[in-house]
Amino acid sequence: MSSNKEEPKKPVPASSSPPSKPSTTTTAKPPAKPAPPATAKPPATAAAKPVPAAPSPKKEPEPPAFEKGLADQVKKRFGESIKVVFIRPLRIKIQVDPKDTVEVATFLRDTMGFDHAESVAGTDYPKENQIEVIYHLGSYTREDLAAHVLSLTTRTNRDDAHLPTLINVYKSVEYHERETFEMLGVYFEGHPRNDRFLLPEDWADIPPLRKDFRIKGR
Amino acid sequence: MATYPQNFRFGEFVGSLIWLIFWILIIVTLVGLPLLFIILFYVPLPPIGDEVLTPYLFLTMIVDPSRTIPIIQYLMTTDLFRVALFPGFTYAALIAAVTIFVERKFLAKMQLRVGPLYAGKIEGILQLVADGLKLISKEIIVPSGADKVLFWAAPIMFVSTAAAVVALIPVAPGWVVADIDVGLLAVFAILGFFPLIALLFSWASNSKYPFIGGMRALHQMIAFEIPFILSALSVVILSGTLNLTGIVDAQLQSYWFIFFVPISAFVFYISSLAELERIPFDLPEAESEIVAGWLTETSGMIYGLIQLGSYVKTYALAALFVVLFLGGWAGPMVFPPEVHAPIIDISPIYDPVAANATLWFTLKTFGMILLLLLPRGISPRIRIDILLHTGWYKLIVLAFINMFIALALIYGGILGPGGLLVR
Amino acid sequence: MTSLEDKFEESKKLGLQIVKESEEDRLMTLSVGPQHPGSGHFRITIKVDGDYIVYCDPDPGYVHRGEEKMCEYRNVIQNIPHLERPVIHDSNNITYSYSLAVEELVGIEVPRRGQFIRAIASELNRQVYTLYWLAIYGIFLGHSTMFMWPTGDRELFIDLLEALTGARVTHAYNIPGGVRNDMPDGFKDRCMRQVRYFEKRLKEYEDIFYNNPLFRQRTEGVAVLSKEDAIKLGVTGSVVRASGIPYDIRKAEPYDIYNEIDFKVQYMKTGDCFARSYVPFLDMKESCHIIEQLLDKMPQSGEVRAKLQPNPKGPPGEAYRRVESGRGALGYYIVSDGTPKPYRVKISVGSFRNMLALPYLLVGQKLADMPAVYWSLNYWPVEADR
Repeated sequence: MSSNKEEPKKPVPASSSPPSKPSTTTTAKPPAKPAPPATAKPPATAAAKPVPAAPSPKKEPEPPAFEKGLADQVKKRFGESIKVVFIRPLRIKIQVDPKDTVEVATFLRDTMGFDHAESVAGTDYPKENQIEVIYHLGSYTREDLAAHVLSLTTRTNRDDAHLPTLINVYKSVEYHERETFEMLGVYFEGHPRNDRFLLPEDWADIPPLRKDFRIKGR
Repeated sequence: MATYPQNFRFGEFVGSLIWLIFWILIIVTLVGLPLLFIILFYVPLPPIGDEVLTPYLFLTMIVDPSRTIPIIQYLMTTDLFRVALFPGFTYAALIAAVTIFVERKFLAKMQLRVGPLYAGKIEGILQLVADGLKLISKEIIVPSGADKVLFWAAPIMFVSTAAAVVALIPVAPGWVVADIDVGLLAVFAILGFFPLIALLFSWASNSKYPFIGGMRALHQMIAFEIPFILSALSVVILSGTLNLTGIVDAQLQSYWFIFFVPISAFVFYISSLAELERIPFDLPEAESEIVAGWLTETSGMIYGLIQLGSYVKTYALAALFVVLFLGGWAGPMVFPPEVHAPIIDISPIYDPVAANATLWFTLKTFGMILLLLLPRGISPRIRIDILLHTGWYKLIVLAFINMFIALALIYGGILGPGGLLVR
Repeated sequence: MTSLEDKFEESKKLGLQIVKESEEDRLMTLSVGPQHPGSGHFRITIKVDGDYIVYCDPDPGYVHRGEEKMCEYRNVIQNIPHLERPVIHDSNNITYSYSLAVEELVGIEVPRRGQFIRAIASELNRQVYTLYWLAIYGIFLGHSTMFMWPTGDRELFIDLLEALTGARVTHAYNIPGGVRNDMPDGFKDRCMRQVRYFEKRLKEYEDIFYNNPLFRQRTEGVAVLSKEDAIKLGVTGSVVRASGIPYDIRKAEPYDIYNEIDFKVQYMKTGDCFARSYVPFLDMKESCHIIEQLLDKMPQSGEVRAKLQPNPKGPPGEAYRRVESGRGALGYYIVSDGTPKPYRVKISVGSFRNMLALPYLLVGQKLADMPAVYWSLNYWPVEADR
């Protein structure tokens, strides 16, 4: 257990979050705000979305200490198999390979304290021929992690999309993964029911959230 | 209703008038007049002045209305009057109709709203007529695979059974349709037919939700019949007779039985709520759980008949409560012994005792009906296991307690023949 | 299938009187379907054995309209009117979260008075939704008075919101950057008065409904969701607060000016149906205090909306913001690729997450408990389908 966990009981005070001002965004809220979580006003800077690798911190502000501690903890355990995409106040995003998701998720749940998955989203990137599935993990038991959401993402090939399911780690993804299956066509191996969920019974088209599915008339 | 009216043609208008007059003439001469003559020939008529009242003379009643009095006087002694008008079906149906309207208004006031408002000039009085017309004009859909005989017969049986219970209730001394010596026992025997009707109808509906509702109805009604009978038994012990008129006479001689056996009255009240399937005991018809229970497949007039039967049963059970516990028609005499009407001499048909009895009986029944309607605004629905627990354990124990009290009162010489509290 | 003699032998050994043919014969499949007074726009397929439910399978999707896909065709401001359709009577909360996420992506700062008004509208909407939920809960249990009273009192708040936003439901009031228009004159006094009247009414609700012995008998001890199960199933909102976890996004991750408001998170420890139905009621009481504080602390004048250029867009990135709505944590995950139209919008609604608890809770309950348990999960079918 790294010592970073014993550090501040509350998340980092707002004053440290936007010390340097990136060009495009306005930052610090009017000083009427006392300490706790500044509602992430700042950036949409680093970790540009469409580029999967290399968090290129050209104008990235110093990542907050508590979140950095969490990310370091994961990195220490898994080393090179994960990539930290960005670290922002209260939001961390890490990317793993499909074969490692179950292991990383188990570590996050048991050791770090992220005990439930809030939602599972799939995004279609036809330009890179990949589909990204992102799990947002939250914590009910640890008070210092109450405001944090750790996003765990994997990517899979668009043409043959299948991923291992996290249902044995986080029970709460059961319906979310089923919805991702029917909306994007991603098959979750090990999920008890890869089935139609929200779409009508006579749906005969491609999975609707893919980019090549156009809404009729638009 | 947006049809274009046809152009008015005077010839067609005159033609329709003549058609109407033609039909009136046909019906009056071929049906009405013979009917009138047949009735008048069989009714003993007193002489008027010096001549016997012949049918032709009777038709002069248009001028002198007092000539209808002997007819009415005779009619009041026939059985038909008692069955059809008072205290039979028409009386019960009128009270049922008023009950439906009062229920909607009463509940509405409790729930911060107004109830029916627009049908009829004053506060929606004609809402019931509008509902009746609507139900009559709807299509009756019989589900496929339903048992047609039972499906059509069950609502009719329901209304008839409810009317049969009404037939046994005395409203005024001498005014009862069927004066049976074991009247109370007959009432319970007839009431025991209702669970069977519910079960038969739900089975005949050939559908899952009515099936569940019918089973619940069966369980509920059977569970509550025993405390029902036991609580009435205390009254029988106190009065010594099963005849309903005799029970009221016993109360006229001493005090109302509710003061002696209040727990039994309470048990009777709860059991009648369960028999009537009113909230909080409306499980067989639980709307949010089993759609409409055993009434799911009813539509149109079948539903109307069952609702009518249900409200007639409400009147019957409330009247039974009044007869058993609240002293029937006992009350101070408020009618003068003789009354002088301006034009007509109605002394042959004016009976102050009967009128007084009717008035007090109706008032008490109405109060009791209001008490039966009240839990609908207060309670949620009960669950089947709590219901059966209540019916089989708690109410039977309470009924027994009061039976012992009643026995003690009789053997202690307080009530019964020659007792202390007998006036 | 063994022969009849074998079955008799077997039942004699077990001491049973009745020989069962097979398990499936005893079960009756009921479709508590979309046309059922006890279900809403949602179907639950249940199998009953006598009176006990042995199998439950929720089947949503009857109102699925493809909200997430539609968001990719409109720019961020045009998305507001259709995004509030999932919950028309709680529209201020479902667009609040979206506005926060877009503000983070584009980089807009909301003026202070706008933040206060946004919070007031959100709290008023929370009352509207919770009263509607309470009314339907009453009618599911057969209590018609508890259906009429909240529906009547809800009109107070709907009138207030109509004066504020111009529409009774689907207000389209929260936009990225603030709110659309300022409060009318006299709104503050009117709002205070109605909130004070409503607090008195809440006592009457407690008398007739929550202290009603029949209601307590029907809901206490029914369908207990333990704390560990609640965490494992990932439920949210009043359901998780009724199981002993005091998690409220307004306290855990305060957005806008909620860190200046003093309120307590209401939670109960028992986790049965009664707790799940009582926690929203306590939330309503707390909400009244919040509204009063907000009205007191609001700056008297100021802008309510930040100036935006037409077709606002920000640098490529992503944002995930959450808001506490009537049903639980409502989160938006928005991915932007530098164009005015969002690349991907994912709405994480409380109803969808709570739906997972339905099969786990219903199996083993009696059929009569089905509406009580189902509606106590604070499930709004239209929102779960999006």
